[in-house]
Amino acid sequence: MIISRTRRSLLAAAVLLGAATGATQVLAQAKPPVRIGAILPLSGAGTFEGQLGLEGMQAAANIINAKGGILGGRKIEIVSYDDKSSPDEGVSAARRAIEQDKVDALVANMFSPIALAMKEVTRGKILHMVLAPQHPKVTEEGHKWLFRLNETTVMRGGNFSKFICTNMNLKSVAILAINDDYGRAEAGNYGKWLAECGVAVKGTEFFQGTDTDFNIQLTKIRGMQADGIYVAASATSQGATIYRQIKQLGYRGTVIASGGNMNPKLIELSGASIEGVYSVSPYVEDVPNPIAAAWRVEYAKNYKNATSFVASLAAAGLEVTAAAMDKAGTSTDYDKIAEAIRGNTWNTVLGDTKFDNIGQGFIASYIVQVKDGKIVTTSKAN
Amino acid sequence: MFWDIFLQQVANGLVNGMGYVLIAVGLTLVFGVLRIVNFAHGEFYMLGAFVTFFAIKLLGVPYLAAVLLATIAVAGMGVLANQVLFKPLRREHEFTILMVSLGLSLLLANGGEIVFGADPKYIPSPFADEAVELGPVFLTWQRIIVLVAAAILIGLVYLFIRFTTMGKMMQATAQNRDGAALSGVNIDWVHTYTFALACGLAAVSGALLGPTAVIFPTIGEWAVLKAFIVVVMGGLGSMGGAVAGGLLLGIAEALGANYISIAFKDAIGYGIVVAVLLWRPAGLFVARK
Amino acid sequence: MTGLRIPGAAALGIALLLALPLAAVGDYFQHLLVLWLLFALMALSLNIIVGYLGELSFGHAAFFGLGAYASAMLTVHAGLPFWFGLLASAVVAGFFGLVIGYVSLRIKGPQFAILTLGFGAILHSVFINWIDFTNGPLGITKIPPPRIPLLGFEIRDGVPFYYLVLFFLLLSAYLCRALMRSRTGRAFIAVRENDVLATSLGIDVFRTKLLGFVVATMMVGVAGCLYAHYIKVITPGLFTLHYMAPMIIMVIVGGKGTVTGPIVGALVYVVLLEVLRASGSMRMLVFSVLLTLSVIFLPGGLVSLLPKWRGQGGREKAND
Repeated sequence: MIISRTRRSLLAAAVLLGAATGATQVLAQAKPPVRIGAILPLSGAGTFEGQLGLEGMQAAANIINAKGGILGGRKIEIVSYDDKSSPDEGVSAARRAIEQDKVDALVANMFSPIALAMKEVTRGKILHMVLAPQHPKVTEEGHKWLFRLNETTVMRGGNFSKFICTNMNLKSVAILAINDDYGRAEAGNYGKWLAECGVAVKGTEFFQGTDTDFNIQLTKIRGMQADGIYVAASATSQGATIYRQIKQLGYRGTVIASGGNMNPKLIELSGASIEGVYSVSPYVEDVPNPIAAAWRVEYAKNYKNATSFVASLAAAGLEVTAAAMDKAGTSTDYDKIAEAIRGNTWNTVLGDTKFDNIGQGFIASYIVQVKDGKIVTTSKAN
Repeated sequence: MFWDIFLQQVANGLVNGMGYVLIAVGLTLVFGVLRIVNFAHGEFYMLGAFVTFFAIKLLGVPYLAAVLLATIAVAGMGVLANQVLFKPLRREHEFTILMVSLGLSLLLANGGEIVFGADPKYIPSPFADEAVELGPVFLTWQRIIVLVAAAILIGLVYLFIRFTTMGKMMQATAQNRDGAALSGVNIDWVHTYTFALACGLAAVSGALLGPTAVIFPTIGEWAVLKAFIVVVMGGLGSMGGAVAGGLLLGIAEALGANYISIAFKDAIGYGIVVAVLLWRPAGLFVARK
Repeated sequence: MTGLRIPGAAALGIALLLALPLAAVGDYFQHLLVLWLLFALMALSLNIIVGYLGELSFGHAAFFGLGAYASAMLTVHAGLPFWFGLLASAVVAGFFGLVIGYVSLRIKGPQFAILTLGFGAILHSVFINWIDFTNGPLGITKIPPPRIPLLGFEIRDGVPFYYLVLFFLLLSAYLCRALMRSRTGRAFIAVRENDVLATSLGIDVFRTKLLGFVVATMMVGVAGCLYAHYIKVITPGLFTLHYMAPMIIMVIVGGKGTVTGPIVGALVYVVLLEVLRASGSMRMLVFSVLLTLSVIFLPGGLVSLLPKWRGQGGREKAND
């Protein structure tokens, strides 16, 4: 093909221009993103919680990126993985994230069994920020790059049980808890603390994570004729059904919700039956916190769900990880990042957040009550 | 106090049991007439609940109208499933059909998760929260409706099968398909009718039981499991067996859980099933062959 | 039939399996390979019941769990060595298989399915509620990796673990093949195809089924043990139906009644697990479509596609 000389020059100019533009694009994006592996239940039992977590995390990342990212302009990129609420899937996901996708850190986990299995894979390999699981062995048998953001039951419970003892005027209580590590810990601890301050525990019953109807369990509990029922239900769907059915069975005493489960969806599904119920929660929306306020705006822009504790936990986990990387000046030197995490107090959507030497997180918590369908803070718990 | 708890648990068991029966009747009908073990039966239960929910939410229809709408819609879906999947495979080995129904079940449940979303939903029925006090027993209107509607529907189905022409054709097909065909019964028509009836019943159970708790796309798994247990315990293809099995399971679960162990509630239920099957392998009532 | 004659195709397959880890670079692929073999072992065991005996057992996962817990409890709580735990897994799973099989196997079809489901659910309930014995929902953590007694080194994961599982898989595959080529195997086929006729030929149907069932449960018990020492954390979730549907899919899609079928089915499952990692619901959707299509158009499973097999189709089926 014969091209005229002018055409050829024009062509050459166009190519050069294109190359130059391309080069500047490449240069501008020369900073690779910091990739965070979010391994969460996106199917199976914890699908809803996993989804909320992912949304919360992404909203937090958006805010960080809008401010220019970390480490001199690197944006946070969240790579999500489904642990299918199962330990071997979680392990597979972790291996893939570390090995194949080469993410910089993991911010993950809603359930203890998966966290326990996964930490063995992250040991010595990558920074692992565990979000919700409360099983003590997560940190007791953890590693130097493992952190657990959520408080354990023992940590959260001390002040709430005191509140129940002094403010609620109950002579007796019955406990209904889910049969998993969370429910067992709650039942054991609160049973002990309430008994210690003179509240008689009339009985403790456990339900399974797969139960959909609670009339049978609640009838037995009703029969104990306690002044109050302490409900430790971590799944929103089960909690809502329990609160409704308590009222439907004609129980007129006080209902108390275990910590960390109060969220707008639960209130929406429970209707009037959850009105007046007390709980303790690390995430509240009526205590001033500019970071949380901005996060809520960003969240509402992108997602239909209301903001929740689960989402805030994921957001805070991401915020700490990102901020620590920024402070340590690296996204891959885990010793430095871990040191930074342990050595500082962080401002997150959950307020002041810090970690101890085995990676256990410390966050604020508040006594809350449901009033007119809203979660209202009554006092600080710790 | 003892009687208060006892009577309440018996009431719980009866309501739960009738719920199980309502879910199970469709399954046993499909088996009796079509010789198909339909794993996807639970998903029609789930669809009944979800269509009701969306009818109220998106169309603004009142609850009872939504229930009716859901029943008809899901019955239609059942007919579609039969036409597309089960009818062409009619000549296949029953294991193949079993696997196909398992595939359909997974498809509908997971498709439901993608389309409806995995978050739990609540069907706002006006009957769900208000309870009636019958002495020491508290029952919400919704649960009373379940009890009464189940009894009425099952009674109607029984009368239908016993006395109407279509019903007799269904009986004939169940007893001897080829014989029935030879005597002029339109087997296709009978199958369609049975599927519509079965899926309609599954849908109505979903629509009625849905508001007693919360719904999500995987509740079909629970429903089909319960239905299966009841049907096998009662005798495959036997309606009377389904009633007996359902009530037995419901009451045994409630009383066993209360007086033996709540934690082992599931084990007690299954223990009853295992005991019945070992004692009477064909089920409590064996359907006429 | 002839003795230990390994046909060319099988030898090639075994050689491939032995060489595979060399191609797998990195922890991640090695992990996938181990998972594949573990699932293959599970599917192979279920295949004995589904493919050879022609029954559907919904309680099979419970024996997997029994094996896992038996070994975990002995190695973690009693400090016994791995090989002891392995033996215990097979014995415990097999024992329960014997007891449950003994009371259940006279019953067939859907009733048998529900019966096994019931037993499995009861076992699950025991393991999740008997806190003192099994630690309930908290499960057992820090399960030690297998240790070779003479050489003293640990098999933590990766390539060494692959070969460990491969050893048991090949052993089980050989056992299946040998079983099916023996008189017992022919009895299985006879019982599966027409048990009334089989009885008239003098075959003790019940004994035959029981043998197959116990072998199957022992095999899956071993799989459970290996799983426990690989993932190093187990919970009662192992007893649930969560693992049941995938096992059934692997057997059916791969090809029931064959030895390679379940292995191929497990491969498909693991590959799809990873390819569709992003969305769990989408993944199950694809599986369900696969299952449905496979059952309708490929009743013999994927292995029936291999031309060589198809050529030997009739003969192979009789021998397998």
